[in-house]
Amino acid sequence: MNVDELVRDSLREQATEQRPLGPGFADRVLTARRRRRTRTLASLAAATTAVVAFAVAVPMLESGNDGARLATEANQSDVIAHPDQSPPRDLIAAGDVALAAYYTWKNVEQTDDRAVGVREYRLLNQKTGKYEKTTKWSFIDIAPGMRTAAVLEKDLPTQRIGLLNLLTGEVERWIPVDRGVAGVSFSPDGGKLVATTYKANPDLRFKVDYDSDGDGKNNDYDQSHDQPRTGFYVIDVATGKGSWSEVLEENVRNARQDFAFSHDGKLVYSGLAMEPLMQYYDFKGSKVDRPANERYTQWYVDAGVSPNGRLVANDGGAVLDAYAGVRIADVPGYTPLAWVDDKRLILWYSEPGENEHHTRLVLATIGSDKLVRLSGALKGNDGAPGQWTPIFAER
Amino acid sequence: MDAQGQERFREFVENRSSALLKTAVLLSGGDRHAAEDLLQNALIKAAGRWQRIDEPEAYVRRILYRQQVSRWRLKWRRRELTVAEPPEGTGGGDAASAAELRIVMRGALARLTPRQRTVLVLRYFEDLPEADVARILGCSVGTVRSTTHRSLARLRSLAPELAALGLADAEQPPSRDYSPVEVRP
Repeated sequence: MNVDELVRDSLREQATEQRPLGPGFADRVLTARRRRRTRTLASLAAATTAVVAFAVAVPMLESGNDGARLATEANQSDVIAHPDQSPPRDLIAAGDVALAAYYTWKNVEQTDDRAVGVREYRLLNQKTGKYEKTTKWSFIDIAPGMRTAAVLEKDLPTQRIGLLNLLTGEVERWIPVDRGVAGVSFSPDGGKLVATTYKANPDLRFKVDYDSDGDGKNNDYDQSHDQPRTGFYVIDVATGKGSWSEVLEENVRNARQDFAFSHDGKLVYSGLAMEPLMQYYDFKGSKVDRPANERYTQWYVDAGVSPNGRLVANDGGAVLDAYAGVRIADVPGYTPLAWVDDKRLILWYSEPGENEHHTRLVLATIGSDKLVRLSGALKGNDGAPGQWTPIFAER
Repeated sequence: MDAQGQERFREFVENRSSALLKTAVLLSGGDRHAAEDLLQNALIKAAGRWQRIDEPEAYVRRILYRQQVSRWRLKWRRRELTVAEPPEGTGGGDAASAAELRIVMRGALARLTPRQRTVLVLRYFEDLPEADVARILGCSVGTVRSTTHRSLARLRSLAPELAALGLADAEQPPSRDYSPVEVRP
């Protein structure tokens, strides 16, 4: 027997042994696609989930600004919408939450086939109530109350975390870290930060030699398939003290897979590539079971658990009983982004007959077909310059 | 994608995904999880331009092949595979030892680079002529020929049991083009 004949026989034998795919594969693909579309390269993970819950106050940066009024306090209307604006220029808010910032992606080429995916942020100026471009920061998360943002400088991973005063635009304090950090997320009460550590920049992109976005040009990038994540810090914001836990997990899909806090702020979690799809950890890095009301959450859906802890919003606008997993309602829209209160959600939504990439922010109410348009629609295709990603925070 | 498009897409996936998965598994060196990932990515790309694709299966296959070779360049870290070790004394001509040789071959195929494996899958599983393989991978016929030659030689070096096998036609030294294997955009 020749070697090529054996190759042929072996390949054919291996092919015939494959059990067929389950009937839900098409839905799995369509869901994954929707997920990617709304969260380009799935970065940021559920980092914004934590800040949208019921929070109290932020323990730092209170002094010196007591006289000044935040834009989010000056206008306390239940709904502040700008359906003509995309990307938004003026404050958008509903119920307990506001659009605190948004960003667009840009690839900055480093070599012929390597680039860094850079977020270009527009951050709410709390003096003027307008979103303003900032190029200083490579990563931002906003604390509940919207007085403070945690910021990372350029060239990830960085060795310090800044606490930015949103009224003055100044960094009030730096928290130094021994290990490089590339993602930060506040706890629901704003008292802690979980900072994800990486040994290399998780936003590196490599040119692929096929037409990924179908625009007829071979000029597309994909994330690195190395896994640079090393673990996480949990840091007390008031004192700047924290502890680092090593997490070596092979079952991670994305180069950037940030940790975020659970709904009650007592655990952190990360998305996984395969079952069980999410893993929770205590603050020492030990694996723990999912909390009872987070058994049905999806790490890539920012809205997560409702403020009262009883409902969970899932991809496609399904609202489930958080404990039993039973579907109790459907709201129009693709991707639930934030709970506004226990009955209302902000979602991405595209008008019937409109390009599916051209979604806009809408406010939906459980049990009602009525939608309130909060922003204008995204322009361009997935990943196009007009595509912005929102970050919500409690106002 | 509109509702009608989604329906057509679902129908296509239902009818063709198992066949496509077979190819994806072979491209992934037998790693089923990696294969499902590979296929899912290719189908996501196909879904993105569904309304404009005339031949969905050909399109998905092309993405599968090209995605796989590009993953190699991205230093895709494949999961470790468990490959059954054959018992001692293989190499005879009976049915049992033929089965053992196929197991050895699978293990060796899994250790090739994705690019080498992709070329062999296209040549010996899909039975495509060199010119078609070159067109799909965006490289020259000479590159396909030299890659095939090197891949078969590598298989022999990976498993001593395969050393006794006869030479394939493709193992005759290629007349030209020993340039490094490269896929052009």
